[in-house]
Amino acid sequence: MNEAVPDIPTRIRTGLAAGLQTSLKLFKFVLPLYVVVDLLKGTAVIELLGSLFAPLMALFGLPGEAAFAFVAAFLLNLYAAIAVMAPLDLTPWQVTQCGLMMGIAHNLVLEGGVLRSTGTRGGLLTACRLMIAGVAGLLLSALHHLWGG
Amino acid sequence: MEALYPALIGAAKLAFKLLLIIVPLVTLFEVLRYIPIFRRAGRAVDPLMHGMGLSREAAVPLFTGIFLGIAYGAGIIIRVAQEKRLSRRELFLMGLFLATCHAVVEDTLIFVVIGGNGWVMLGVRVLLAVLLTGVLARLWSRHSNEEDSLR
Repeated sequence: MNEAVPDIPTRIRTGLAAGLQTSLKLFKFVLPLYVVVDLLKGTAVIELLGSLFAPLMALFGLPGEAAFAFVAAFLLNLYAAIAVMAPLDLTPWQVTQCGLMMGIAHNLVLEGGVLRSTGTRGGLLTACRLMIAGVAGLLLSALHHLWGG
Repeated sequence: MEALYPALIGAAKLAFKLLLIIVPLVTLFEVLRYIPIFRRAGRAVDPLMHGMGLSREAAVPLFTGIFLGIAYGAGIIIRVAQEKRLSRRELFLMGLFLATCHAVVEDTLIFVVIGGNGWVMLGVRVLLAVLLTGVLARLWSRHSNEEDSLR
């Protein structure tokens, strides 16, 4: 840990540049996704697919359309997921529920690879994440009912 | 295409909100990361780490993952994990913790932006991660893995 410590102005510049760069990278797919979902919202395609997933999502107190956000979270990342969620008009509690579950299980392909390259069992851990997310979701859903939501 | 206009406005608003979070957050991290208090904080959580079957060697990759995330912290996590020769048991325990609980600042904030409750999301994740890792550490006893760590 003998790395040179840059002075504060340099750090601020590095931070701003890195932050902007990350943001721009995210916008490239967050913005198109948001527009596509907003345009499709209310069309027959989304309603059909939404009603297909409705029973599963209902377990967690979520509308069927939220399934798209989960697909985006699992395969891509959380930014893609909130780009899908934002136009769906979810309640604050539903957003919390999605945030908890997706916070646990997201970007599974890439992060599974990283975990594996540390030398541990990435595939098993990925399966664990999906299960933990499900359990956490059911737990929070139950708590919400107890509190009388 | 009347529908396109509100969609574009909404997308722009979301982009602006994300920008407001990411840029200050990354800048703050860059400014604070060299402060030694982070290293001292490592000592304070030693008992908790011990309870989860993790040694101090695992602290740097663990905290990198908790705050930076698995994807961004990958470089540090992989390097330290190999340099320090963490045992397979410890690697898996650390992996389990990080799988449940990582990038907690950024992940939580972006859901707060669209209306979620940050304390609930953060609290449940940390609690679950500590519990699960602690339980697995007890089930998977150190002894059965001793040959492995001597490798």
